[in-house]
Amino acid sequence: MEKTTAQNIRLGIFVIIGTLLLVTAAYLIGNRQNMFGDTFPLSAVFKNTNGLQNGNNVRFSGINVGTVSRIEMINDTTIKVHMIIEEKMSAHIKKDAVATIGSDGLVGSMLVNIVPGKGDADLVEPGDQLKSYSKIASQDMLSTLNTTNENAALLTAELLQVTESLTQGKGTLGRLLNDTIMANDLKHTITNLKYSSQEASTTLAALNNMIKNIDFEQSTAGVLLADSISGEQMRSIISNLENSSNGIEKIVGDLGVLLEDVKGGKGALRYLSQDTTMVNQLESTMLNIEMGAEKFNQNMEALKHNFLTRGYFKKLERQQKKEAKKVQ
Amino acid sequence: MATLQETVNSRANTVLKGVKNFVIETGELSHFAGRFFKEALKPPFEFKELLRQCYHMGNRSLVLVGVTGFIIGLVLTLQSRPTLIEFGAVSWMPNMVGISIVREIGPVITALICAGRIASGIGAELGSMRVTEQIDAMEVSGTNPFKYLVVTRILATTLMLPLLVIFGDVIALYGSALVENLKGDVSFQLYFNTVFDALGFGDLVPASIKSFFFGFVIGLVGCYKGYYSKKGTAGVGVAANTAVVTASLLLFVVDFIAVFVSDIFYDL
Repeated sequence: MEKTTAQNIRLGIFVIIGTLLLVTAAYLIGNRQNMFGDTFPLSAVFKNTNGLQNGNNVRFSGINVGTVSRIEMINDTTIKVHMIIEEKMSAHIKKDAVATIGSDGLVGSMLVNIVPGKGDADLVEPGDQLKSYSKIASQDMLSTLNTTNENAALLTAELLQVTESLTQGKGTLGRLLNDTIMANDLKHTITNLKYSSQEASTTLAALNNMIKNIDFEQSTAGVLLADSISGEQMRSIISNLENSSNGIEKIVGDLGVLLEDVKGGKGALRYLSQDTTMVNQLESTMLNIEMGAEKFNQNMEALKHNFLTRGYFKKLERQQKKEAKKVQ
Repeated sequence: MATLQETVNSRANTVLKGVKNFVIETGELSHFAGRFFKEALKPPFEFKELLRQCYHMGNRSLVLVGVTGFIIGLVLTLQSRPTLIEFGAVSWMPNMVGISIVREIGPVITALICAGRIASGIGAELGSMRVTEQIDAMEVSGTNPFKYLVVTRILATTLMLPLLVIFGDVIALYGSALVENLKGDVSFQLYFNTVFDALGFGDLVPASIKSFFFGFVIGLVGCYKGYYSKKGTAGVGVAANTAVVTASLLLFVVDFIAVFVSDIFYDL
């Protein structure tokens, strides 16, 4: 009899512990799904739930705060997701919070993320509908990727054609790639360019040095470059020069007109410039004058030797010598 | 020298005989099960014997189930680690081990262990009672041997197996957590948090209901084989042996049906 009682006690302990374990497991699982404890309902409307299921977690700022209780299809583009949230979270979630659907890791199950708003909105009340933001569905991304792939296929096909043309030496680029003479020429050109650029660099360095060495305070170049007054004066000189050149141009114009008049007119100038007979007469006149002057010189020489006028010439000679001595 | 036709006939007869035996046994087993339900609901109830059987089948199997569960959890984790590390998914170990143990490995392994220990025990016990004509003696003395011997044992296995499964699951998870704690620096709290995050009622409830059926099958087959064992000492051995084989086979059939049904139920 005692043996039976002891056995029963052991059996009782076994059953109680086993049942407790079962109940604990059920409680822990239920607790994760917010089946126990105070909760309040919230909802959000999405266009696409991306495979969200009843029982999926709801996170607020990264903390599990509830679960999805029901997913209701309102119409073909509106799906209402009902959530149950822990009561204690009602003191933190505000009306401007935004619900999004995300996934737990790369291959994890879907979940609803509630992101806090930025404003100072009131706290949510049971049954409130949160604003939602639908991310791009993976299907849409795949669709875009498909188009991209098609484009990439076209591009590679064209690229293949281009490379084939290039390898066959067709077109300018193909010739550039395949023509060795052109390559050598190019090489020379590049060498020359390199040399030129080196020279240009040296020249620039020299110029730079020269500019550095200019005494901006004292030298002419410095004054020209730095002195604003001289600059003004230069500007005025140039302006005057411009005016003068304008004046000269006008004068030249007038002279042109005058010459035209001289050429076409009947005045003495035209006669002087164009009448050859008069030139001949003038030439013979000049010759006569020359001859006359020569004869006059002879007469004057004769006068110097004449006793009547010789005294006067001597007097002049003496006076000249006196002046020459004074100068010395 | 047998002709070809004689050989074919002989083989065909053997197959036919096998099919016939299978059908007869299925019918007898179903009849046995029907008789159990009829007797189980009819008073008087043998509570004391039920408790005694529960103790023998529950408490006495606990160590075996515990050790098996611990090693299963340990080995499953150790074997899965390299593959999960290769995929960079070692943090998913608690999820994987938790779900596989609670849903399938725990109930099936525990049921197989119990089929080996309990079904053979019942088969041998009832078989020897049949051989030594104790069952006949009970009938003569006016005691209902079916109610006293069969109903209590089937009820005991049906009630005890879910508890043993729970114990087995917990110990297996503990074994797995121990490996993760030693090799992966995962705390016990984090491990069990992750396990219960991954588990849902869809994992626990079907597995628990399935365990009741496993217990019922073990008890039913063990009792059937023992109750109808053939005369002679060889009959006891055959009863024990066939009880284990048939129970194990039936366990997998029941498991398949249970998984199939629970899958449909939880998909809805």
